[in-house]
Amino acid sequence: MLIPAFLFAMFAGIAIGCSLGVIFHRNPVHCALLLVGVLLSVSGLFILLNASFLAALQVLVYAGAIMVLFLFVLMLLNLKGENPLLTRGAAKGFGILFAIVVFVELLWTVLSPQMEGGMAASPTVPTGFGSPAAIGRVLYTVWLYPFEITSILLLIAVIGAVVLAKRKFG
Amino acid sequence: MTPAPTVPLVCYQILAAILFTIGVVGVLVRRSALIIFMSIELMLNAVNLSFVAFSRQHASMDGHIFVFFVMAVAAAEVAVGLAILVAIFRNRDTANVDDVRLLRG
Repeated sequence: MLIPAFLFAMFAGIAIGCSLGVIFHRNPVHCALLLVGVLLSVSGLFILLNASFLAALQVLVYAGAIMVLFLFVLMLLNLKGENPLLTRGAAKGFGILFAIVVFVELLWTVLSPQMEGGMAASPTVPTGFGSPAAIGRVLYTVWLYPFEITSILLLIAVIGAVVLAKRKFG
Repeated sequence: MTPAPTVPLVCYQILAAILFTIGVVGVLVRRSALIIFMSIELMLNAVNLSFVAFSRQHASMDGHIFVFFVMAVAAAEVAVGLAILVAIFRNRDTANVDDVRLLRG
């Protein structure tokens, strides 16, 4: 079966291309739309990894809610394109150097022989792996308390956002 | 039983590493606070991809649960972060991180 390999290559290419566009494009609206491209292709990769529920959640929460919030703030602020695009002087060179170090370190970790079953074929998973039923079964038993605490976190975030956006500082 | 994927899972990890690095570059190099936020979302997505790939490799649902929580925290982070951004823009008329340097001395 070559179709999964082809789909992986396609989604990976779209994700890398769009994410490069996100960080190097001048217009913030284009950056946001390219970020939607990254999120959708990551959602496609989730489906290839048998995580169908998370793929749906990725589209709904990330590409839907979060990106709409981004675009809404973009329209609200009406930012001009940055000029110059990148940060000044030493920070730029140091930033790229640091990023290269991070990348080499990540690759070294991923490709190290200690990684369990790195190149080996992955095990088969039972039917229903990654389905809403399977997620719910684990989420509402083992992870019940973290799940409830998440609701409090979201409530705090909503209140905090309202307070921050309302008040006049200084 | 679902058949094993033909793409080795290490490819997903390498892709996640590439996406994470692009996010790091975005955070360190760009000047607009909004683009920095987007780069953080990029990094969170790379980590999510890594989690799901490891979850598939171990045939365990725990990675999926972690991705679920990461998404919830990302939503909260974006709501608060964008509110802070709006507040900064309202006061200083800029979203440029190089111009907001009150704490830099």
